[in-house]
Amino acid sequence: MSAPASPIRLAACGALTAFGDEAASLAALLGNRRALSSLPVLGRDGGDLVPLALCPGRGLDETAPPAWISHLRALAARIPGEGWGGPRRPVFVTSSNFGVGSLYAFRRDGNAAHLEHGTPFRCVDWIAGELGWGPDVTTFSHACVSAHLGLIQASRVLEAGLADEVLVFSFDFISPFVSGGFHSLKILNAEFPAPYRDGTTGSIGLGDGAAFAVFTRDRGEFTVSSQSLHNEMHHFTANRPDGSGFEACLAPVLAVAAGRRLWLKGHGTGTIEAGRLEAGTLARHFPGAPLVSWKGALGHTLGSCGLVELTLAAAAIRAGRAPGTVGGDAPTFTPEVALAPFDLDAFDGVLCTSNAFGGAHAALLLSHA
Amino acid sequence: MTDPLLAKLKILVVETLRLEDVAPADIPDDEPLIGGGLSLDSIDALELVVRLEKEFGIKIASSEESRTALASMSSLAAYIRERADPARLPA
Repeated sequence: MSAPASPIRLAACGALTAFGDEAASLAALLGNRRALSSLPVLGRDGGDLVPLALCPGRGLDETAPPAWISHLRALAARIPGEGWGGPRRPVFVTSSNFGVGSLYAFRRDGNAAHLEHGTPFRCVDWIAGELGWGPDVTTFSHACVSAHLGLIQASRVLEAGLADEVLVFSFDFISPFVSGGFHSLKILNAEFPAPYRDGTTGSIGLGDGAAFAVFTRDRGEFTVSSQSLHNEMHHFTANRPDGSGFEACLAPVLAVAAGRRLWLKGHGTGTIEAGRLEAGTLARHFPGAPLVSWKGALGHTLGSCGLVELTLAAAAIRAGRAPGTVGGDAPTFTPEVALAPFDLDAFDGVLCTSNAFGGAHAALLLSHA
Repeated sequence: MTDPLLAKLKILVVETLRLEDVAPADIPDDEPLIGGGLSLDSIDALELVVRLEKEFGIKIASSEESRTALASMSSLAAYIRERADPARLPA
């Protein structure tokens, strides 16, 4: 009889937000601080003021090469171990933006140097070279569940015995291309996001974000108890109005979650319809479990949000205290929405969820090892 | 008598969204624009809002306000009449 396979473990993780690393970000969230500020939606081209959160020293307009590479170098320097991208140590890079700000910058000023970083594969090749990774680097993207897609693929590769460790590395830096796109849809507007507030109008905010996670089977402070991805394929920008996509994503997680004492780190961008569906679905399945979103402080870090917020959730567990829904306000869609920080002594895991354009949904249940 | 603003808006909708099989006069005044018989969706709404903002010099603040304005042709006409510079409205 063979021994049961050991679970997938989170051996290391780190994050970068407009506040700084995960320790600085957690401290800011626990202090109810907001990184978002009102900035012109098109950078130096002006436009309406919208809530954006940029990393220190970074402007919205793209440079050639992109100035955010210094932030990625600093983040990558914290990844433990060597030989990433080499035999049995693959790297999965995830993003929803990659270097799209460079394409906008090229269109604006005609400088061909921007094109070296503009498309996803050129951008990832450049980053891999800058960070000294080997050839085994794979790129994944699926809108705002991109990081979750990378994380679930990392688990599958480990479960199949194809790797000893997997590095998932995610980055999304805001540019006028991205903020302008969300602004044209009117879901990024002058309001600051108030996730899960039961109001008549809503807005998201956008934030810079990057993070890494090392998944393995032989060590780690946390266990990845369950993961799920579901795409309802309903519409480009809308969820099924009955919330069935949220339900379908949670279904595989529920059996593992049964009997657990969980808190919930939701997606909660600040939009009304999706927030109502998400909060309602979670409250039905996890009555009484506190639900938080941190996008009212950090902004939505887009394809990287799943990994950025997973890292912050892990930091919160280590600290024994979870930040509340910064920027949130009563009345909330459900009574479970936690507006203030709370102690984690009574909990034994966190369910992290994300949602995306295209009707994509993701969930990850993280437990103490 | 036909409301000139309503008539202009119907032409704008057909032109902006390149509705090949729809004549402006076929668009009902009081049926839902989004999710109704025209089968318009949020991407169509985006295109329409951009055009309306340029054409009438208005600002639609949020997706919820956009949805209210685009509830029907009549509500869109009322919304624009309330906010646009009268000089931009058809006589």
